[in-house]
Amino acid sequence: MLLIKALGGICVISACGVWGLKASRSLERRREQLKDLRMAMNFLEKEITYMHTPLSLALARTAYYSEAPISFLFELSSRYLSEKKGLTGGEAWSKGISFMRKHADLKEKDIALLKTAAQQLGMSDASEQKKYFALLQEQLKILEERALQEADKGQKIWSYGGFVLGFTVVLLLL
Amino acid sequence: MALLDELIVKKEVISYLSPPIRELFCCLKKDVYAQLEEIRLRCAQPVLLKIGDKDFSIDEQGQMNSSINRGYRVSEDDIYRTVAAISDNSLYAFEEDIKRGFITVPGGHRVGLAGQVVMKGHEICNIKDFSGLCFRIAREVRDCARPLLHHICDSKKCRVKNTLIVSAPRCGKTTILRDIARLLSNGDISRACNIVVVDERSEIAGSFRGIPQLDLGPRTDVLDSCPKALGMIIAVRALSPQVIITDEIGRKEDVEAIQECVNAGVAVVSSIHAGNLEELQKKPLLKELLSMGIFQCAIFLSRRKGPGTVEEIIRWD
Repeated sequence: MLLIKALGGICVISACGVWGLKASRSLERRREQLKDLRMAMNFLEKEITYMHTPLSLALARTAYYSEAPISFLFELSSRYLSEKKGLTGGEAWSKGISFMRKHADLKEKDIALLKTAAQQLGMSDASEQKKYFALLQEQLKILEERALQEADKGQKIWSYGGFVLGFTVVLLLL
Repeated sequence: MALLDELIVKKEVISYLSPPIRELFCCLKKDVYAQLEEIRLRCAQPVLLKIGDKDFSIDEQGQMNSSINRGYRVSEDDIYRTVAAISDNSLYAFEEDIKRGFITVPGGHRVGLAGQVVMKGHEICNIKDFSGLCFRIAREVRDCARPLLHHICDSKKCRVKNTLIVSAPRCGKTTILRDIARLLSNGDISRACNIVVVDERSEIAGSFRGIPQLDLGPRTDVLDSCPKALGMIIAVRALSPQVIITDEIGRKEDVEAIQECVNAGVAVVSSIHAGNLEELQKKPLLKELLSMGIFQCAIFLSRRKGPGTVEEIIRWD
């Protein structure tokens, strides 16, 4: 009986610990993904404002030079646009976001920021696009800094918190 | 032929329209595509098809109607989606075209743009908030200029005469110029010539990203979107043409450039807006050119028996 209780306790503590570690890792991944996103947007801006590359091709090139899961956003948007089935750039972008968010650790506010790009992407002249990208970069930078602070604070809490919670549950059950 | 027209128009023009408007075109007869000259989309107004001199609309069941008020009303979303399609969702990549008021799509078809014009000083720097689009369907009418070639070519001297193609708008000047370029370049009738087409408005060659979409023959170079006067000078210096073909001359610098080309031994074939010889002679700059005897031939066109009807040929040689 004691052995079963001990095994049960270890299972509870391990499960809570792994949950805490995963949450902690997710915070770190979110920060990394926001950084990748900012870099990718920077690349896309250059393709649009300096190279004047058509949007579908610019998105495909950005996908090639960015890391997964952020690259999924650009790859999928580019694919939808290349099919030429009447989708606008904004609609293709929104579909790309929906697919990417399933694989990314981004929060709702990060996604909301990305969604604002749907109305702007491609449908103005280069100088307007440049202004929009500059604004987007600034907002992404702020999100990234906050994500860094959250990761610094949250990582320890979640890493140890999971195990502490596990111990507490076990103590309560005993 | 009607089937070919239908396929070309559906692939190269209708595919750019917004999905609701595209669907309306499914029920149209094949003959309509063969005669279709323009498709006009105006915000909150019916879709208009220009066939010959008449306007038709298409109702929501896809039936063509001469009573235009029954036609499908174009929404803002239709305009937005169509603009997105013709620009490949990349208006920034077509800035120069938009400043000039149109975008050329593959196949050489021109889409005229109407909307809010943004000025910078005295120059147009952008058009935004589009409210109207005009698809002008580019058609090659092969051999339409063949009967005119013996007036243009001097068989004794083996050279092309400086020629003016004169008509009011929509009488087929550009189509005739395009065919003249193709025939002279092929050497079908006269000796084959090196041709340079200075295509300021991308109408003659219908270039898309610099590549001519319409057949201008194997010995033709195209200076696309290039101001006529500048293009003629560049052509003489760099491309050693025997003939320069350009559209709609009329500015002082065009006249000076033509003089320079002619003095360099290069023949010029150009078009100009005028209804008849009297109207042509009323244009002060042209009067000067004509009095100098630079042009040896003028071909007057009308739409009396359809676009490209030759009304009169005047020779001054």
